[in-house]
Amino acid sequence: MLQYAAIAMLMLGLYGLLTQRNVIKIIVSLNIFEIGLNLFIISVGYVDDGIAPILTSNFNNNGLIFVDPLPSALVLTAIVIGVGTTALALALANNIYQKYGTFEIDEMGEE
Amino acid sequence: MSAILLIAVPLLTAFVSILFKKYSHYMLIAVSFLSVFALGYMDLETITIGGFDAPFGIVLILDNYSLIGLYLVNILFFIVAVLNCKEYKKLSSILLVSLAGLNGLLLTGDLFNLFVFLEVAGIAAYLITTTNKKPLATFNYLVQGTLGSSLYLLGLILLYAMFGTLNMSDMAREIGTSGYGAGVTALPFLLMFIGFGVEAKLLPFNSWAKGILASSNSLSGPMIASVYAAAISLVFGRLLTNVFVIEGTLLTIVMGILVFSLVAGEAMAFSSKKVKEILLYSSVSQAALVVLVFMTGFAGWAVYLIIGNATAKLVLFLVTNIAAKQLGDDEVDTFKGLFTNNKVVGLAFTAVTLSVVGLPFFFGFVTKMNILENMFLSGAYVWPALILITSFIEGIYFIRLLLNLWHTDGDSPEVKFDFVLKYVVVVIAVLTMIFGVYTKPVQDSADDLVVYSITEGGNF
Repeated sequence: MLQYAAIAMLMLGLYGLLTQRNVIKIIVSLNIFEIGLNLFIISVGYVDDGIAPILTSNFNNNGLIFVDPLPSALVLTAIVIGVGTTALALALANNIYQKYGTFEIDEMGEE
Repeated sequence: MSAILLIAVPLLTAFVSILFKKYSHYMLIAVSFLSVFALGYMDLETITIGGFDAPFGIVLILDNYSLIGLYLVNILFFIVAVLNCKEYKKLSSILLVSLAGLNGLLLTGDLFNLFVFLEVAGIAAYLITTTNKKPLATFNYLVQGTLGSSLYLLGLILLYAMFGTLNMSDMAREIGTSGYGAGVTALPFLLMFIGFGVEAKLLPFNSWAKGILASSNSLSGPMIASVYAAAISLVFGRLLTNVFVIEGTLLTIVMGILVFSLVAGEAMAFSSKKVKEILLYSSVSQAALVVLVFMTGFAGWAVYLIIGNATAKLVLFLVTNIAAKQLGDDEVDTFKGLFTNNKVVGLAFTAVTLSVVGLPFFFGFVTKMNILENMFLSGAYVWPALILITSFIEGIYFIRLLLNLWHTDGDSPEVKFDFVLKYVVVVIAVLTMIFGVYTKPVQDSADDLVVYSITEGGNF
């Protein structure tokens, strides 16, 4: 079920990227896309009734089902990268605003 | 010496150099020189990181293929850094990060790690292009680059969900033994192909290239068109030859994209009136040609094609950008007769251009000739014909450009090139000619340059 939500979010982000002509809205769409992607990655590792993949000495959990820990680790990295890119994009948006005085790409008079 | 240092030292120096802003450009020169120097002391090996053996941990692979890539990228990077360190002092830390990212791209043997390095190198590239003072073009590049690498990540995760591994050679083995047809892996491969296509400037995905390269300067032009292009094409080649299984309809689609990119790139270069646009569209079609040669299976020659293109584009973009900066714009009409006052640079520029076109006695001829020969021998007659036609178009517009640059009726423009630049340009041009005539080492090594084998890379 989580997969479908993630894919819907991916598509929403992509739609935003394709249709919006405002710098800030493009950045928001990019973020929605990335969050959808992160959710999708998490959903890949999810197992029904799975428990946290932590090995403990005082509790024998050998026979239980674990969720896959790797996608969570990947998502952690992907989130950090996403934040870095967003920060850079916002800095560029500031530059764009100072140069053109607007966030609307159509009003900038340049390709 | 361990190849990890090629990533760790530039990255560490990048953060240290923020503390010592005054000396950051000396650090950049020292580190980029040392990494070229250190390559001579590296043993070919597979390095496991963190004590987890492959396929569970991340591995760095230093084989013939990545070593030749590292030499190329590090030497070109050093040249660009030396020529620009005074003018763009502020960017020294960023250039160090980009060096770490590029070295990581070439070394890594893990698909997710590749994504991380792609983003590291990518973010550094966005920052380098801010020196163009065209924030909107940089923003376009950023959005497309991020979307591209996100699609790569999506494809990668689909592959992980199917095969449960991220190690490149393990992935290739799993795909081989799983018995799934090409149809099952078509979606992830196509997503990853698009992701890399954005960075490698393949045609439907490269609308950022014009905004960035048409207004580039002596740092961003050679950096993006030469150093980054070389690194990305080499990584793309590794994926195409080792991991991706592209067959059937998907092969037709991908080949269609490449042919479109090749032909349209040359056509757009042919109709351009600006020197930088001619060069950038020519590099679009060259990128497609490189990927095409990788797809048809002649990896060794594709590597030489990358070397030839990267060195040539370095010279062309350097000379053009310095001249354009002093003359104010880069219209061919403004450039008319540029080389009548600068004969040394002019001769080198001419030699390199003719090498890109692929005339005899230049390095480009050797690679193109061998690629064509091998393709004919393998019985695929469509590709050689296509390459010959596009080379012909390329020849026309490049020679037209050269005639314009050498000949003028009125006054020829005054442009001053400094000594270091002249030296670099002449050395590259001479090397192009030497290896165009003395072809034996190139011929011999191309066959040995097989891309890494699974047992070597996997370490299991």
